[in-house]
Amino acid sequence: MIRFEKVTKTYPGHPHPALDNISVDVEKGEFVFLVGSSGSGKSTFLRLVLREYRPTTGRVYVAGKEINRLASWKVPRLRRDIGTVFQDFRLLPNKTVTENVAFALQVIGKSRKEIKDVVPETLELVGLTGKGDRMPDELSGGEQQRVAVARAFVNRPMILIADEPTGNLDPTTSVGIMKLLDRINRTGTTVVMATHDSSIVDQMRKRVIELENGHVVRDQAQGVYGHQV
Amino acid sequence: MQLRYVYTELGQGLRRNLSMHLAVILTLFVSLTLVGMGVLFQQQATKAADQWGNQLQITVFLCRNGDSNPVCPSAVTDAQKTDIEAVVQDNPEVADYHFESSETALGKAKELYGEELFSGDNPAITAEDMPQTIWITLEDPEQFEGITSAVQGLDGVSRVQDMRKVIAPILGALSMLQWVALVTAAVLVFAALLLVANTIRLAAFARRKEIGIMRLVGASTLYIALPFLLEALVTAIIGVVLAGGALAAVQQFGIEGRGDDTLKFIPWIGWDEFWLAAAAVGILGPLLTLLPTLVLTRKYLKV
Repeated sequence: MIRFEKVTKTYPGHPHPALDNISVDVEKGEFVFLVGSSGSGKSTFLRLVLREYRPTTGRVYVAGKEINRLASWKVPRLRRDIGTVFQDFRLLPNKTVTENVAFALQVIGKSRKEIKDVVPETLELVGLTGKGDRMPDELSGGEQQRVAVARAFVNRPMILIADEPTGNLDPTTSVGIMKLLDRINRTGTTVVMATHDSSIVDQMRKRVIELENGHVVRDQAQGVYGHQV
Repeated sequence: MQLRYVYTELGQGLRRNLSMHLAVILTLFVSLTLVGMGVLFQQQATKAADQWGNQLQITVFLCRNGDSNPVCPSAVTDAQKTDIEAVVQDNPEVADYHFESSETALGKAKELYGEELFSGDNPAITAEDMPQTIWITLEDPEQFEGITSAVQGLDGVSRVQDMRKVIAPILGALSMLQWVALVTAAVLVFAALLLVANTIRLAAFARRKEIGIMRLVGASTLYIALPFLLEALVTAIIGVVLAGGALAAVQQFGIEGRGDDTLKFIPWIGWDEFWLAAAAVGILGPLLTLLPTLVLTRKYLKV
């Protein structure tokens, strides 16, 4: 589903590459943790998948397409196959929960009827039934992140990318979000999650890819956060 | 494509940046009006030059009774006229010529200044007061010294008038007005471009959250840029309508209503020329806002 072949990414003006000749293969339906300290290259990895950047050298394949060769007008279509969740939720403060989720469908031209059908379904999936008319600032952090997950998943993408989704949440709430991501993963969606949260990684026992200074230093099938198994 | 969002955004965008949009509209209004004025002046100059025979003609005024010129003791005689005609006929610079009698000259004057001045028991001017003239069309408008000096000294010639001396100051003034209008317009057009650019930057900043989300969920570039383009189009249309109105007012009250009456000897432009200026403004206005918007949305809203 996601394939990095000898990918190097150097930012202009920086002598050291953010990612240095890495090769990674993520299969369809996998759940992968991306761990490593700040500046290790996690965000660059995710941005290359979203094609916010092109690799300096090497190839990136997403959903069977070599995306560094993708014409820029085809990028929006690629992103419709990828859902994205961030640490800071990124909800629109002047729209209700339902409108926030519907927004993702509206702007890619889905019909009113489809939006009407799919949005409540997705809100139910993330456990926000009955809260569709609330504004984001009336919700707790965990609930806001559920809205963000709903928005990322409402178009049923093949891949869900989560960049520190529990970074702003307390441990109990984080567990709820992880259960939600796990449920989404079970529907067949590939999930790639960058995180600093060791307890979550240790609990979930999923594949762990550890980055350090742009290199893959560990790729473990059922790993934990630290080095020991 | 669902355009509901686009229209909502358009309305919000116009309200949110109202003062910036007003600045753009006013600058566009003034600069487009000046561009239109430049076109009108240019048309006026062309029309005047066309009417006055492209400055090809010179006029030989013959002596009349009571001529103020001391070389004319009395009115030109028929013998003198024959001599003058021979000189004109033989001159290689002359393409064509014709005599004009005092009566014809009086007729022309009546047409220009109205009947009243010439009628009644004791008219101010009679045919006697009008000189006979020879109108000479030159082969080459630059070659006029030869014929002028050849005719100048002949008996019965009062003076030789080169039409360019009459027309040149008028054409010069028109051309100067045209350039003043166009240069001022160019400066203001530049200001309008900067204002449009700033407006887009403000709007893109105000909507950075929505734009970020739209990019992430895969909205097309056109869909993201559409509210910006429509905003640009709306401001352009208002600017064009205002400028067109101002130009129409100039045409209606400045030319049709006034210039036509007081400065009759000048052939004035009409509504055809107004529509040409309006078309220029109508094309330029949207270009001025849409082009920078296209360029800048590509820059700020890059996917």
